[in-house]
Amino acid sequence: MSTGGGAVLDTPGADSLRRRILGSRGGTSALLFGGGALVAIAIIAIIGLWYTPYDPTAFAVRLRLAAPSLAHPFGTDEFGRDVMSRVLAGAHLSLAIGFGAMLVSLALGVPLGLLAAFDRGWLGVAIMRGADLMISLPPILLGLLILAVTPPSLGKTILAVGLVYVPILVRLSRAVALGLLEEDFVQAARARGEGAASILAREILPNAWPPIIVECGLRVTFAILLGASLSFLGLGPQPPSSEWGLMIAESREFLAQAPWMGLAPGLCLCALLVAVNVAGEGLRARLDPSHA
Amino acid sequence: MPVLTRPMPDTGLSVQGLSVGFPTESGLVRALDNVDFAVAPGAALGLVGESGSGKSTAVLALLGLLGGAQVAARRMAFDGRDLLTAAPALRGRRIGAVFQDPSSTLNPALTVGMQVAEPLLVHGRLSRAEAWSQATALLAETGLARSASLMTCYPHQLSGGMKQRVAIAMALATRPELLLLDEPTTALDMTVEAGILDLLEGLRARRGLSLLLVSHNLGIVDRLCDRVTVLYAGRMVEAGPVQAVLARARHPYTRGLLAALPRMDRRGALAPIPGALPDLRRPDPGCNFRPRCPFAAAGCERPQVLAGAEHQVRCHRVEEIAGLSWPSPPSPPCASDAGATLLETDGLARRFGAVHAVDGVSLTVRHGEVLGLVGESGCGKSTLGRLMLRLVDADSGTLRFDALPVPPDPPLAFRRSAQIVFQNPDTALNPRQSVATILRRPLHRFALARGAAGEEIARLLELVRLPPSYAARYPHQLSGGEKQRVGIARALASRPDFIVCDEPVSALDVSVQAAVLNLLAELRATLGLALLFISHDIGVIAHLADRVAVMYGGRIMEEGPVAMVLAPPHHPYTAALLSAVPVVGARPTRQILPGDSGAVHGGVGCRFALRCPQRIGPICAEADPPWRNAAPGHRIRCHIPTEEL
Amino acid sequence: MGAYVIRRLLGVVLVVLATSLLIFAIVHILPGNVAYAILGEYATPAAVATLQERLGLNDPLWLQYWHWLSGILHGQMGQSLVMDRPAGPLILDALGRSAILAGSAFVIVASGGIALGVHAATHQGHVSDRVMTLAQFVFIAVPDFFWAILAVVVFASWLHWLPATGYAPPADGLLAWASHLVLPVIVLSIGLLAHVSRLTRAAMLEALRSRYVLMARAKGMSERRVLWRHAAPNAMLPTITILAIDFGLLIGGVVVVETVFAYPGLGRLLVFAIEHHDLPLLQAGMLVLTTIYALANLAADLGYAALNPRIRYGAAA
Repeated sequence: MSTGGGAVLDTPGADSLRRRILGSRGGTSALLFGGGALVAIAIIAIIGLWYTPYDPTAFAVRLRLAAPSLAHPFGTDEFGRDVMSRVLAGAHLSLAIGFGAMLVSLALGVPLGLLAAFDRGWLGVAIMRGADLMISLPPILLGLLILAVTPPSLGKTILAVGLVYVPILVRLSRAVALGLLEEDFVQAARARGEGAASILAREILPNAWPPIIVECGLRVTFAILLGASLSFLGLGPQPPSSEWGLMIAESREFLAQAPWMGLAPGLCLCALLVAVNVAGEGLRARLDPSHA
Repeated sequence: MPVLTRPMPDTGLSVQGLSVGFPTESGLVRALDNVDFAVAPGAALGLVGESGSGKSTAVLALLGLLGGAQVAARRMAFDGRDLLTAAPALRGRRIGAVFQDPSSTLNPALTVGMQVAEPLLVHGRLSRAEAWSQATALLAETGLARSASLMTCYPHQLSGGMKQRVAIAMALATRPELLLLDEPTTALDMTVEAGILDLLEGLRARRGLSLLLVSHNLGIVDRLCDRVTVLYAGRMVEAGPVQAVLARARHPYTRGLLAALPRMDRRGALAPIPGALPDLRRPDPGCNFRPRCPFAAAGCERPQVLAGAEHQVRCHRVEEIAGLSWPSPPSPPCASDAGATLLETDGLARRFGAVHAVDGVSLTVRHGEVLGLVGESGCGKSTLGRLMLRLVDADSGTLRFDALPVPPDPPLAFRRSAQIVFQNPDTALNPRQSVATILRRPLHRFALARGAAGEEIARLLELVRLPPSYAARYPHQLSGGEKQRVGIARALASRPDFIVCDEPVSALDVSVQAAVLNLLAELRATLGLALLFISHDIGVIAHLADRVAVMYGGRIMEEGPVAMVLAPPHHPYTAALLSAVPVVGARPTRQILPGDSGAVHGGVGCRFALRCPQRIGPICAEADPPWRNAAPGHRIRCHIPTEEL
Repeated sequence: MGAYVIRRLLGVVLVVLATSLLIFAIVHILPGNVAYAILGEYATPAAVATLQERLGLNDPLWLQYWHWLSGILHGQMGQSLVMDRPAGPLILDALGRSAILAGSAFVIVASGGIALGVHAATHQGHVSDRVMTLAQFVFIAVPDFFWAILAVVVFASWLHWLPATGYAPPADGLLAWASHLVLPVIVLSIGLLAHVSRLTRAAMLEALRSRYVLMARAKGMSERRVLWRHAAPNAMLPTITILAIDFGLLIGGVVVVETVFAYPGLGRLLVFAIEHHDLPLLQAGMLVLTTIYALANLAADLGYAALNPRIRYGAAA
């Protein structure tokens, strides 16, 4: 007579039933919508690298603070520069900060996290204590600290923002890997006498990437936000760059006379962030059914 | 469609034509289809079926807790009150419920006392002090010692059996007339389950309770109920008095279930039910068991009628097939007498923190022999299995394989010869690899079948009775039983001599389990494999093993040929374990053990001393018991001489 | 529980010590001469030498660190180079003003976020839930400095309802004081409100799907009781963690919002220190903020433990 502990209960929740029957395929529309918008913005940003209606750095004293018109759809700034051209020319910077920072944290955080999962000795402990320490600084302070001491630049902003998310990815990838190491299929690999490299490549990584990618997708929003905040504080790309956060910061003095100077880059930044956020949530719904 | 039902009494629970559908994106899933049952006051009905039968859905429908599902019934009434509308007023008051897995049904943030007293405060409108003292009394009534101090505990401080007693106390608080029990013992150990069943039986007699017991376990239903209704894929297939249905089952499905059940008193091949559950989104208007039924014939595609008076069956061929027996596969050839020693452990031990998971175990497994390892959760049986494969590092003790010592980091030759099959088919296979990839890896790893991997994979799939086309599938495209077959094929790929089977069938339904057990028995006979077969289910062990080792608290308590261990003299723990097994058609007198198996042992004396019903004195807790030979090859580790056991 | 509190307190001390080392290390070891960073690229060697002497930059690093740390332990936060005043009182003053800003925002975020999250979870699929879900997507994504300039343009420049920037001490009248707080507090709260309510909704939904909630319903408890007595205590655990994370985000928001609104708080002071290369002031300010963050995390941990019997009464056997 079996009292099999694992007897599957025919649970009532229509949610779980649906998931059991259909598998998880949520978030498709969010992914399409957000991803589509993101691709469009990226294309515009790439075009902006080569072509803008006006020279984004050319001064035109007679056109200072001109209101939006057909010739200058987003108006001009205090030096008479075309705001639309500047927004276009700066588009790639926000994308670069957001995705660049994510790549930095992926490149540093995931290997360190996996190492911490595999190494039960002092190295693993050291990595985790280091991550604990970095996480005990409020996110913006770590960025401020790094950027305050040395002259700011785009690369440093990317690095600073990326470093903020390294400990989060260290913790996540370690937790995911530790969970997988307990799985029976990893035990089966060990029973074949597979080495750590083979287990990592064949058993762990193929199963670990979905939660890591989901986390990254959601973090890109915060990375872009943090990067823009640092730029806004003057700790990102320096003038005459037209990074959007920087443009908004420069517009502050002229807000009363020329609100378009801040609104144009601000709204573009919002559009980018919403697109990234929607795409990230879509990705999560698609890959991680437990958070539907 | 003619409806043949007995007149329903106005008292008790009566359900007629209950149908439940869950709307999903791909259509309505018909979880229950026109089901009738009734529980008279003081009676006990068992609702039996495998996963997907809809039995738990029925309980939730009665309680009005199905949320977005479509619930319809010609009649669903308790004591004359329509449950479709009055369920919220009756549940928790006159109808109590106990669910499976008490570790998730008790609220982790509230004290035990709060949870038991809550119905008394809310429904009974008692004062705090009164509710508290009544709740304490209820805990005592459910057999919990020190009930007053338990009141301030939180669920995580209690063992599984204690939690389920708390859940029962909670359900009894408002003195309900009907108790709904949804797999109440499924997550529990067998000796703990025995205590809960005794408690329920006692409560029923003492309080005149009616019971509706939902279970996949026919033995429990036989023990606790007077009537039984068998569900298959949302439909009733058979109903009647327990003795009649279980002793003279008439519907092919019920007969198949009984034939598939491994029992201590029966060896030889089991009769599995082929096939799988039908798609509940497209219900078959005819008999929905037809694709799996060995007796299917013309006429089965027509809607079937539940016929009969006291003993109802939904099968038009019931009379014709009464004389035919359920087809059972030929018994696998008995393994030749076990050969030389293959694997030998000596004093293997492993601690996890303060817990002696495995505490000095010495065992041998001979070539071609199946050694059954039986014990309850936490006894260390899984750890022992992994120690034998050097998957877990041993603190002390030695391991020899083929007469050679196996070092902590064993050579590839040992890895090739000693493999493992896991319990949970869902985690045993890498979800990102196809079946072919899963099977190809060991072939590459051990440099077997160079260049002919495709043929070898096909051969392995054939060995485990899967079609070759399955090589291209991924684990999520397989059923639980199929996944388990792939897991077995993966273990066989390296052509091992020894396989540790760690509860390989306990996550499977009975009908699927039988097929996997048959497969293992057959493979073992044809390939001359030696198995360490780990299970909590002594019926399964008895079915497959040549010899049995009984494990408790990290130690082996008794060891010997299966027939000798199942027959007296027994170690006191083996005796309790055997008496706890609910067997269809047998009512053994039960020994109920105090306490729980999970308790941490101090490390001196007999590991079982604290719970032993035959304890002889302080010596049990102070000195390690000696091994005593009861018969050649049968030894018992106890202070009591074998003649007195 | 007592041992747990002591262990966590010790942890906070260690974290603050370690971060002080980290802050010091970043300031002093990153490439770039501190004196040049302060004086600018075109400083004369003599000026650099004088400054290095004055700051003790010629001492070994560990000695410099020890001087700094022991000074802090004696209540000496160091000397602001630009303002030529002790950093301690400067920071304390600014901290008080930031605390009012951040405290009000945090109260709004915590109470509003939890209320909205619970509402959304209990009205899943209703119009209000859908509207909120949509709003959360947008509000989480909009940077607070953009809200800030929008608020200034609309409420100060166009409508003239509220002062655009600045601060009025309470002595100038409570109304003036409060009117300078309204916009910064709202701007600071809005994104975090979306974040907290969204995650509270998820935590609440998970609790409502649990089997102990099914059990409570089977016990015949009213939906109200199921929600508040059975689901909420469990859903609050993840919410506390979320609030701790959001406190870190709040500190970032304070830096930005104080800058936009020229509000003389600690965030503004830090940005001032960065802009003017006032490294002693920067170090001290950072350390104070980190300590506050560590204490906030401690509060969250203790709150978590107080609500979670598994920690309060040890792990399961």
